[in-house]
Amino acid sequence: MIVFIARRLVISFFVLLAATVIMFVLTALSGDPLEDLRQDASPNKAAKIADRTERMQLDEPIPVRYLSWLGNIVRGDLGVNRDGHDVATMLGEALSATLQLVIAATVMAIIIGVIIGIISALRQYSGFDYTVTFAAFVCFSLPIFWIAVMLKQYMAIEFNNWLKDPAIPPTVIGALALLSGLVFGALTVGDRRRRLISFAVGLAVGGALFAFLSATRWFADPGFGLPLTLAIALAGAVGLTVLSAGLRQRGPLYAALAAAVIGAASSEVLGPLLADPSWLEIAGLALLTVAVCAGLGYGIGGLQRRQAITAAVLTGLFTGGVVFVDRMLQAFNGYSAAVRGRPISTIGARTPNFEGDFWQMNLDTAGHLLLPTMALILISLATYTRYSRASMLEVMNQDYVRTARAKGLPERTVVVKHAFRNGLIPITTLMAVDFAGVIGGAVVTENVFGWQGMGNLFIDGLREVDPAPVMAFFIVTGTAIVVFNMIADILYAYLDPRIRLS
Amino acid sequence: MTLNAQAPGPDTAPDAQGLTITARTQGQMVRRRFFRHRAALAGMIILGFVVVLAFSSIGFAGIPGWWDKSYLDTGALVNQGKPTLSLVPEFLGGDGFRIGEHPFGQDDIGIDYFALTMRGAQQSLIIAFLVGIVATAVGTVVGAAAGYFRGAAEATLMRLTDVMITIPVLIIAAVIGRMMGDSGAVVLGLFLGLVLWPTLGRLVRGEFLSLREKEFVEAARAVGTSAKRIIFRHILPNTVGVIIVAATLSVANAVLLESALSFLGLGVQAPDTSLGQLISRYRSAMVTRPWLFWWPGLFIILIALSINFIGDGLRDAFDPRQTRVRA
Amino acid sequence: MTTSPNVPIEPRVDDPHTFELSSHVTDSAEDVHVGLTLDAVRPPSEEEILKVENLTVEFPTEDGVVHAVRGVSYTLREREVLGIVGESGSGKSVSSLAVMGLLPRSARIKGRILFRGDDMLKMSARKQRGLRGRKIAMVFQDPMTALNPVYTIGDQLAEAVLAHELMPRKTALARAKEMLDLVGIPQAEARLRSYPHEFSGGMRQRAMIAMAVINNPDVIIADEPTTALDVTVQAQILEKLLEVKDAVNAAIVLITHDLGVIAGMAHRVLVMYAGRPVELGDTDPVFEEPRMPYTAGLLGSIPSLDKGSGSARLRPIKGTPPSLINLPTGCPFSPRCPLATDVCRSSEPPLAETDSGGHYAACHHWDRLAAAEDPTEFFRTESETVA
Repeated sequence: MIVFIARRLVISFFVLLAATVIMFVLTALSGDPLEDLRQDASPNKAAKIADRTERMQLDEPIPVRYLSWLGNIVRGDLGVNRDGHDVATMLGEALSATLQLVIAATVMAIIIGVIIGIISALRQYSGFDYTVTFAAFVCFSLPIFWIAVMLKQYMAIEFNNWLKDPAIPPTVIGALALLSGLVFGALTVGDRRRRLISFAVGLAVGGALFAFLSATRWFADPGFGLPLTLAIALAGAVGLTVLSAGLRQRGPLYAALAAAVIGAASSEVLGPLLADPSWLEIAGLALLTVAVCAGLGYGIGGLQRRQAITAAVLTGLFTGGVVFVDRMLQAFNGYSAAVRGRPISTIGARTPNFEGDFWQMNLDTAGHLLLPTMALILISLATYTRYSRASMLEVMNQDYVRTARAKGLPERTVVVKHAFRNGLIPITTLMAVDFAGVIGGAVVTENVFGWQGMGNLFIDGLREVDPAPVMAFFIVTGTAIVVFNMIADILYAYLDPRIRLS
Repeated sequence: MTLNAQAPGPDTAPDAQGLTITARTQGQMVRRRFFRHRAALAGMIILGFVVVLAFSSIGFAGIPGWWDKSYLDTGALVNQGKPTLSLVPEFLGGDGFRIGEHPFGQDDIGIDYFALTMRGAQQSLIIAFLVGIVATAVGTVVGAAAGYFRGAAEATLMRLTDVMITIPVLIIAAVIGRMMGDSGAVVLGLFLGLVLWPTLGRLVRGEFLSLREKEFVEAARAVGTSAKRIIFRHILPNTVGVIIVAATLSVANAVLLESALSFLGLGVQAPDTSLGQLISRYRSAMVTRPWLFWWPGLFIILIALSINFIGDGLRDAFDPRQTRVRA
Repeated sequence: MTTSPNVPIEPRVDDPHTFELSSHVTDSAEDVHVGLTLDAVRPPSEEEILKVENLTVEFPTEDGVVHAVRGVSYTLREREVLGIVGESGSGKSVSSLAVMGLLPRSARIKGRILFRGDDMLKMSARKQRGLRGRKIAMVFQDPMTALNPVYTIGDQLAEAVLAHELMPRKTALARAKEMLDLVGIPQAEARLRSYPHEFSGGMRQRAMIAMAVINNPDVIIADEPTTALDVTVQAQILEKLLEVKDAVNAAIVLITHDLGVIAGMAHRVLVMYAGRPVELGDTDPVFEEPRMPYTAGLLGSIPSLDKGSGSARLRPIKGTPPSLINLPTGCPFSPRCPLATDVCRSSEPPLAETDSGGHYAACHHWDRLAAAEDPTEFFRTESETVA
């Protein structure tokens, strides 16, 4: 394995080196770097031209420029751009902005996409499956910039306007209720009668929920409050127990329910600490949650100790998440007022000069991340959905899944333990490769939403026919591709024991 | 993935199916399965409609079309340039079916937006199909050579592919677009095709690698068939399905890539136009004159979606068991 | 699906292992390969544990409805070994998957499957699952793919116990080790931590057998348990199967296309063709005096090691099995049958008792077979006739 990785690294290094030659030459040939100065009317035009010519070594042939760039790189110097700015500094800022953007988007796309894909596979040929398939194809066919502009218009500008008086028009409530009914119905397997009942339940639940939200102007001052937090946490506990242990034995369920109750209650107790915490404190609380819940699972789990610990820890973290969201929502009103009622932002990564407590700063970041994240998610979401659906379908038809059923295992174990674990192997590879691509692939999104990220570093460099920033961009993205491909290989070997030995 | 519908178990299905379809040829089966894929059929019809509309309406390469306005002529703004197209019948409170003077409206200097959109669609289609053809051709040749010959030839070709793949698609396309954007759609399409072949090359190589170990290739080699003949007569026909599907999907991706490039100002340059460029040019008009934004977007989606569905139908047709994975 | 839909996966008649093991068809008394014979294990009792009544299975497909199983009935007594034999597509696997409740949701199943008097098709899913793996266990054809590659053998065995009985994992693992010992896997303790890919094919099938008997089941369904294995390993596996069956007191439904295996291992045999049982009876009478031309044809398709005797010649059945979507009217075997007459082509014969007790056949002309000296003679090839 180590030999294999080392060999791959060496090859990748030379591949990368060759790619830098292509990139450098193409960039240098793509236009005239002095174009803007030639039309310059200022008296010191000649001096400016001479200055830039010297800085970019324009009087040398391109191979010489490349070699000198390469020499600098070896010494760890990324050089300066055509105006003399330090490229390393530019790169650092761009990279941190881009990572902030793509990590959130990729993680969400993976989680949601894989879940939808699995459900879609388990409900193959259902209404849900067909809808998801069609939606995925539409997503593949959407120009991302078009979607981005639409999001700006409808999710930011008009949504912010609507927030001034957040009453949902009856027609919209009707449509949302219908949608919720359709989702319920499509997810149900069974005869027409069962599906109709599900549809009716979905319709009623959706209609009541949105009517309530509208009547109470919930969106103007959102939040869950203790009773709702507790209810959500308990529902999460049941759901997570069903997934991780099943309800046959009571041990895991009791552990999870206890975790939910303790979590919800401690959100009240911890009020002062949660008023304006730091990320460090949040991380500490998360660790504490894990420890307490593991203890609960150990104590209550009985013979199903392992599953009980899993269920309790997952429930604890879920409850923590709910409390976190609740706090964010409670801070919404104050934040909204601070940004003059326009919480969803369309430009940049943060509101300039905005200062607030922990929750408000988070809201500010979230408000800026929301739209570009949605735009980025759409396409990778479709990819993950399709991919995990195909992977699950393939795995569900394997002989060992039939063996698992023949043992008399419950369907939950068959799907989660036997099918999902195997279906995950190809998906993991996709994740690693996709993440590498996304770092350099958010060019269009960054452009539309005015993020000063990697994409802009590249596009600006290219427009100015300036190899230094373009190459800095490429070194990061190219290395990312190499590194993440390697991570994919290692993950693959970790997940599939057949590879470990050979 | 066919187990639920067709195959009761490894024991029964092969014969049950084998017996009923032996009477059909490969081509008939492919056609039958493709036409059973309703979304693919719809995609075919829509794409055909868009292509005919784009090229016949305003004419192409000096041949005049049936639409009387040009995408270059400005004119007086009628009703602030709002679209005159109406599809809502009168009894539903609409204006009845009417095409009117400027069905898609006019842009800010009075150019007929239907003509402009058609011109954009022409350019986008030309680029997308050229990219598809060139990338497929190069990818197939490289992949086939690498997959069949192996050894030094393979190593060289695959390292070349690796180098190309290391550079993100949008990035290399952007550089090419920046260099070639003002030379017209045809040149841009050709050059983009020349850098976008690696994915297809890898795919074809993989197919070749597995096929060249098959018994029928061994048999051909054993009787002294030349490499050329083995490649073209024995292996290539068996990879046609994979290649056609990948080529189709690469066209769909090229439509989106071209529009993204033009949106970034790195594709087709003014005064000529493309769908992406139209959206980019009028993105700020979203609030005041949304039709300038809607029409080109709608056409991009129509084209890409129908090609994607055709590709899916072809995949089902050529290999119904192949998992529908898109990476 | 792991197999291509157009390629039959069953071996051809000239497959070497068929040749090897089938040698005891001609003299089943002297069995050189299977050390443990049926006579050495405890005999079946009269108690019926599994009763299948008029089972039909249909699959709706795009090309039409596949009639995979068309009215199968049989009973299995305690400790009995029932062989089910037939070509691919004869419905033998599908009928036993139906018993296990492992058919895909799209399958339309009719009839009754009674386990100790309870109809499994009418049980709740939960109750059915409780029987699966605990009372009725299954050994699959291909041990290469039947074990999950990402979990250890011990984990997969222990899981089979824990699915039905609540106990500490350690106890389940100890039981798994016992089972590996029973099926003859050396160093069982260490092998618990091995992954399936570290096992050879034969070892994996042993592990599958261990998994099947770990809960002391009453019925083991073995679906072509040796088809995917090397010739030399096949006999060992079959012997082991008989041995563990005796150890846990289970009955076996042994599905195979290999008449030699049936002859050496089964008390009774059920021959299936085109989804229907066509002959049923005790193994020796069925093989020595078949009353259905199809069975006779199968016997004639087996090469023999006995050189010089008349049956040394291969007398294969011509043609292929019918489509299960468009079945011919009348007896489904009639297009290939040398004895077929007009009545065969117009009406399908029922499975009826023949001249000897407990020997059933679905043939209008079983009496002609009874009258023949060598039942395979009807399948004489042309070259043979000329000679």
